[in-house]
Amino acid sequence: MKIAVLELVRRPGRFVVVGGALTLLTLLLLFLGGLLDGLFLNSTGAIRANDADALVFSDDARQSFLRSTVDDDVRAEILAVDGVGEVGGLGLSLLGVAIPGEREIADGAVAGYELASGALPAPPSPGQAYADRRLEKFGARLGQTVLVGPAEVPLELIGWVEDTNYLLQNGLWVEPDTWRSVQTTNRPDAPVGAGEFQTFIVRSTGTIETDELIARIDSATGRTETLSENDAVFAVPGITEQNATFTAVIGVTIFVTGLVVALFFALLTIERQGLYALLKAIGGSSRTLVAGVVVQSLAVALGAYLLGALLTAGLAQILPPSVPAQFELGRAAITLVAVTAAAVAGGLISFRRITRIDPATAIGAGA
Amino acid sequence: MLLALREVIRAKARFALLSGAVGLLVFLIVFQQALFGGLITSFIGAVENQDAPILVFNDQARSNVEGSFLLPAQAEAISRVDGVADSRLIGQNTFTVATASAPEDAVLFGYTLGELGEPRTLRDGRLPLGPNEAVASAADADKGFDIGDTIEILGDDGPTVTIVGLGEDLRWSVAPTLFVSYETFEAAQAAVNPDATVVLPSLVAVRPADGVDIDTLTDTIDAQVDGVEALTNAEAVAQNPGVQGVSSSITIILALAFVVVILVVGFFFLILTVQKAKPLTLLRAIGSPSSYLVRNLIVQIAVVMTAGIVIGVGSALLVAAVSPTGDVPIEVEVGSVITTVVALFVLAMIGGAVSIRRVLRIDPIRATADSGRTL
Repeated sequence: MKIAVLELVRRPGRFVVVGGALTLLTLLLLFLGGLLDGLFLNSTGAIRANDADALVFSDDARQSFLRSTVDDDVRAEILAVDGVGEVGGLGLSLLGVAIPGEREIADGAVAGYELASGALPAPPSPGQAYADRRLEKFGARLGQTVLVGPAEVPLELIGWVEDTNYLLQNGLWVEPDTWRSVQTTNRPDAPVGAGEFQTFIVRSTGTIETDELIARIDSATGRTETLSENDAVFAVPGITEQNATFTAVIGVTIFVTGLVVALFFALLTIERQGLYALLKAIGGSSRTLVAGVVVQSLAVALGAYLLGALLTAGLAQILPPSVPAQFELGRAAITLVAVTAAAVAGGLISFRRITRIDPATAIGAGA
Repeated sequence: MLLALREVIRAKARFALLSGAVGLLVFLIVFQQALFGGLITSFIGAVENQDAPILVFNDQARSNVEGSFLLPAQAEAISRVDGVADSRLIGQNTFTVATASAPEDAVLFGYTLGELGEPRTLRDGRLPLGPNEAVASAADADKGFDIGDTIEILGDDGPTVTIVGLGEDLRWSVAPTLFVSYETFEAAQAAVNPDATVVLPSLVAVRPADGVDIDTLTDTIDAQVDGVEALTNAEAVAQNPGVQGVSSSITIILALAFVVVILVVGFFFLILTVQKAKPLTLLRAIGSPSSYLVRNLIVQIAVVMTAGIVIGVGSALLVAAVSPTGDVPIEVEVGSVITTVVALFVLAMIGGAVSIRRVLRIDPIRATADSGRTL
């Protein structure tokens, strides 16, 4: 074990190749994870921001915000359901946002809402908006008035909110009538009537299971499709496929990390067969030698992870705002565990080869 | 050369293992490319396979058909731009429809029948000749969108459309897609937006006059008409937000797979070279030139890659052939397979460069001095 550590300290050059490869793979893993998290969070923030137990869509919308319309009659029917605590409307309009001083139009999701939540303060005054902080990357500042859509509806930015975007469009949270005005002025072919929303956010009294609440609401209205918050998140177009694809790619990358470490230490073991035979001849056990390899693979993995994380942090600083990567501590921790586990597993591949080394070969008596 | 091949034959398991690993990676690359091709076609086939050479968007839509709509004044202004031979309205939206079996999502593209915006890939049946007729994407025939089927647009007095033709690669956003008359599209829009006083087109399709350069005309339209962005059909496809998102993800994935091929091949042949240190030194000592040993190494890399590519491409073709026609078709394209194969060979040789360097550094004198393991 001590020899393994000393070798790492005195001959770090031997581990440059595998360290470099692992650094690259760590960078890829962190970047892929950041992209997955960024795509997911920025596509679904507007749903998760409402602290909803359930979301009610019209039953002909097939779970699409943009095709759903619910009105005051539906609201009254939901409120009459036993177990329903609060009901608030939510509507979204996807439109371009012109920011003063910026040439490029930013993507915007203007959200009309009624209920405050952990992420959202109470709705602002008419003509004002809370903006998702991501809009800051596109040049927006508090106090500015941005112009929304081709009709250039003005909205004054009065505060930042976090993690509230929808379909990668920057959230602009306004009171309901402002949203209706934005939608109807910009899209006269798809106006929103008074009292209408795309969905209702429902919070339960806490005395009923979500499944039961959903069943009661749909039964009471007879014309809605109610989803739990989680189901509504995964009903966002492309989210399920996106998660599956990226998770598979991340899995393959972790496997490759283990493979690279295994190949490297297999090579190192072959090169050091004579040395290992000598160590065995003077009393070193196979267990000690394997432990040394594992320690080295662990150290290389940790060093590579550190370097990869630093490179990722640097990359995050220069990424254009159009790339939705978002780097989360939880993802970084999972990646650290995965990289080190793959490295240790890769190092252990040399176990059999080391145990088969015959100490007698140290004096030329081996097979 | 014979030596290299004889070694491969004698160490079948070892080389088969590597060929299998390379084959798996090749399969992943080719299969992902095929899936990507199918996905892209399913995302934007309807625009790619309509006949308008230029499509004009609202400039705030950022090339997104769903986010684009044009005002009557803009459509009128486009038609008056110098160099425009013809311009027609195109309407697009996603609707909930009732098929014979179940409700489905369906995308409607409304165009002026017989004019710009017509689908170019009719496979069966005919093009619509009047209102409430449609050409549907052939991939969705078994979902209730076959010739003779009727589709009801759900809403207030939504139109009922009869499928009269099927076209290849006509989907939009991986959903069943119907090409209908512009009047039918207007009726569908009115059904789902009963309070709307107007139906706006999503795009304007443009045909340049004879002798007018298509790129020059898109620039002219952008310059002369406020608030629009004119794109060639190819630009409209490439800049579609869905395509861009998928492209960047798949590019990263494929780049990763190529890097893995270099690493795997490189490490494997490095290990082999180190293991063969003694015999290689001996061969050098008895007069074999370095170039002979390097050629052997290159032949072995070529053998492994050829076997891997045969396994990988064969598996991808097999999977593509037997896969059920799901939401996204798998399209193995010969051009991209050839490019991939060439790239993999080049990358494998690069991966083997470290081993080649080691072989070139072999000092024959070591055959008389020690084990030769220090090469």
